[in-house]
Amino acid sequence: MNAITPTHFLILSFLLVGIGLMGLLVRRNLLYTLMSLEIMLNGINVALLAFSRVGNSLDGGILVFFIMTVAASEVAVGLALLVALYKGRKSVMSDDACLLRN
Amino acid sequence: MIEITLGILFLPLLSAAIILLFLRDKADLAAKVSVGAAGGVLLASLWLIFAGHEESFTWNTRWFSLGGWELRFGFLIDGPARLLLFIVSFVGFLIHVFSLGYMADDSARPRYFGGLSIFMFSMLGITLADNLIMIFVFWELVGFSSYLLIAHYFETEEASQASRKAFIVNRVGDFGFLIGIVLTYWNFGTVNLNELADLADFSPDLASTVLCLALACGFVGKSAQFPLHVWLPDAMAGPTPVSALIHAATMVAAGIYLLVRIDFLFTEQALAAIALLGAAMGLYAGFCALVQRDVKKILAYSTLSQLGYMAAAFGLGAPGLALFHLTTHAFFKALMFLGSGSVIHACHHEQDVFNYGGLRKRMPVTAYTFLVGVLAISGINFTSGYFSKDAILLWAYNFNPPVFLLLYSGAILTSLYMFRLYFLTFEGEPRSRQASEARENSSFMTFPLVVLGILSLFGGYHSFFPERLASCLSPDLISASVLPHHLWMIVLGTSAWVVGLSLARMLYGQSSPKDSLELRFPGFFEICRTKLFFDEIYEFYVKRIQDPLARFLEVMELLFISGLMVRGSAGLAALVSMLFKTLYLGKIHLYALWFVLGALGFLAYAAGMFGR
Amino acid sequence: MNFVDLLFLFFATLACGGALAMVFARHPVSGAMFMIVSLVGVAALFVLLEAFFLAILQVLVYAGAVMVLFLFIIMLLDVGPDGSKVDLSKWKPGFIGVLLSVLLVAVLLFLLIGDGGTPASNTASWPTPSDARETGDFPTLEFSPEVSFFGYGLMTKYMLPLQVSGFMLLAAMVGVIIISKAPKTNKGDS
Repeated sequence: MNAITPTHFLILSFLLVGIGLMGLLVRRNLLYTLMSLEIMLNGINVALLAFSRVGNSLDGGILVFFIMTVAASEVAVGLALLVALYKGRKSVMSDDACLLRN
Repeated sequence: MIEITLGILFLPLLSAAIILLFLRDKADLAAKVSVGAAGGVLLASLWLIFAGHEESFTWNTRWFSLGGWELRFGFLIDGPARLLLFIVSFVGFLIHVFSLGYMADDSARPRYFGGLSIFMFSMLGITLADNLIMIFVFWELVGFSSYLLIAHYFETEEASQASRKAFIVNRVGDFGFLIGIVLTYWNFGTVNLNELADLADFSPDLASTVLCLALACGFVGKSAQFPLHVWLPDAMAGPTPVSALIHAATMVAAGIYLLVRIDFLFTEQALAAIALLGAAMGLYAGFCALVQRDVKKILAYSTLSQLGYMAAAFGLGAPGLALFHLTTHAFFKALMFLGSGSVIHACHHEQDVFNYGGLRKRMPVTAYTFLVGVLAISGINFTSGYFSKDAILLWAYNFNPPVFLLLYSGAILTSLYMFRLYFLTFEGEPRSRQASEARENSSFMTFPLVVLGILSLFGGYHSFFPERLASCLSPDLISASVLPHHLWMIVLGTSAWVVGLSLARMLYGQSSPKDSLELRFPGFFEICRTKLFFDEIYEFYVKRIQDPLARFLEVMELLFISGLMVRGSAGLAALVSMLFKTLYLGKIHLYALWFVLGALGFLAYAAGMFGR
Repeated sequence: MNFVDLLFLFFATLACGGALAMVFARHPVSGAMFMIVSLVGVAALFVLLEAFFLAILQVLVYAGAVMVLFLFIIMLLDVGPDGSKVDLSKWKPGFIGVLLSVLLVAVLLFLLIGDGGTPASNTASWPTPSDARETGDFPTLEFSPEVSFFGYGLMTKYMLPLQVSGFMLLAAMVGVIIISKAPKTNKGDS
């Protein structure tokens, strides 16, 4: 096996996104859903940084910085919503949050 | 003139509208309005008939037009129209007055009188109309009001069934009538009676047997002739004055009137068919009447029989005699129906003749006027029925012996069942509590009886008729009077009622709770009771042939027309929506799933998996 | 295979393994712990990519702040292993989810290294630092591990996005406060 290339980083990024997606689809607990979203964002960050290195440009890195900002505020709002939901329904399962059907 | 005619036509409609819109809960006022309208119609008709200066006039205006085709609304006042106008307005008025007494304790009087007014409107429309389509419109209206009035006691199964039967059977005849009108328009290019008469006079080949038989379908339905006679006896479920007005004096006579109005269209073959049909009906209905126990059904079958006489007279080429018999029949049959109504009213709606008896002493006016009616219909010499019926018999004797034989047997039967009815009802001893407690009715009910009784006695002296009424009768009556075998006919006619009377006296002279005809000739009695299975045959036809066919067609319609063609697009949309609805389960995971599926699809496309 | 490659493999395994363990964790607290492991692994990968500042941020913001918030909420709500553990045999959507995500990764990998597309070719090796290009109004920001370059980029080319993200953080803060406030009208129903 040769030295580590950007392709390896991309593969890793895909794997992280795939694992995050799996968590999103498999778990019904909204806490896990939020954490899976974070994993997916991390995977994207890895890919972005790798591209940034390949393109020899700082743009990707700065984009990672913004993604982190957005992710942090997303988690804050998401968790606040989760708490509000929990207050109403005493549950953090996504199935209990469905009002449109039954 | 025109204003008066329009007034005659629309006064009853106005009264019906007022009653049905405003007077639903004011029974007395409604009755007064309706009777007042009938009286107004009578006065206006008398004025139109006697004071009008013109011998015959016509007037029309555009009703509506469809493209190049226009339907005209108009009147044709000629001899037959005057005569029928007189009968309808006069008998109609008397029956309105009688209804005041008969329906006095009915809870739905406004509906009843409103229906009567609608009926008067439609009947007058038929009388005055100057074209076939207008006649057809009022023809249907008459059918509708007849339905309305038969179903007056709609709470009872019998009345609701009978009203539907009458309506549907009439539809069958009217369908033929409609076809006849279309054929007429096709052949002649007009439906106006005057123009038709001119055209038929000019080129007789235009009329065909099929055409006039199709038109005669309307007559067969409305006048309850074979094979559509089944509705009339059942229609007796309606109130008795309605039976008198619609099912004896006017509506069933409208069929004859229609024939007379279009008689110039008829070919020899069609006339012969109608004559034979009518004569057969005269005999058949006589046998049926012989075994009935319900007083109104006896009268209904007798009406069928008399209508058969009129049809026979028309078929033998004497429309004047048919109209003459129509006139006298309207008097004495309305008289007898009203008399039976009086009896029924007095006996608390008991209708079985074997539960009557001895009513002559308790209800003298009714009894004697009824006797006059019986005498008239049996053709006792010098009563009205004698003149009209024996004129028909004489005509048949001279021109068509088979028809004469049928009619003559019918005449014997007529006097037999009529005297049977009279003896059972009014002579002997009361056979039930209701009959023994019966009392004569109020003068509202006896007054029309007396008037009609006088007319039944003397209505046959046509030479005393005012010229304006008799003008349509005279030609045929004059030609009848110069026919040979006059004296012979008097002997024959007299012997007919004598035979009938003595048979009835022998069989029903003694008061007995059982039908002595049934006791002596049970086989014959049973055959008459079955009425030759017409009802059963129709029922079989409808149940076994028509219903399965209709059901089959319905399934086809549901499958192919409304299913595949009408609902096809909507069904497709509904199917797609059902498919998509399953995607919306309200579960976040599933939405994420769809999202991922979509993303996969895009990626697969990007990877060139579906080709470039 | 040199030392750096070994490090990459190690931290990549750490990141993926932590993520997988998080997905299939039984208890939310252990899930959050695995998540921290994964995030630290990713931070180490950032170091390998010479983005030191971002690696530090990753540890500080993610592992430090976000995950602490997660743990804080988990403990606040006192969520236990409440039937949310994965049972692939009984839960069909779960199975489909696994299948779909594997499929997605497979398609992505096919795009990257399969013969389906060519874009993978120019990521086959690291570029030399010299081939920079000129784009837009701003001088190209060359990649550099130094924080000053990063700050320069943020303050020049990405000034507006920086302001916007700051505003977004403010909005998120206000939103969280409003959401967290007990609604007065709906009091009593649950």
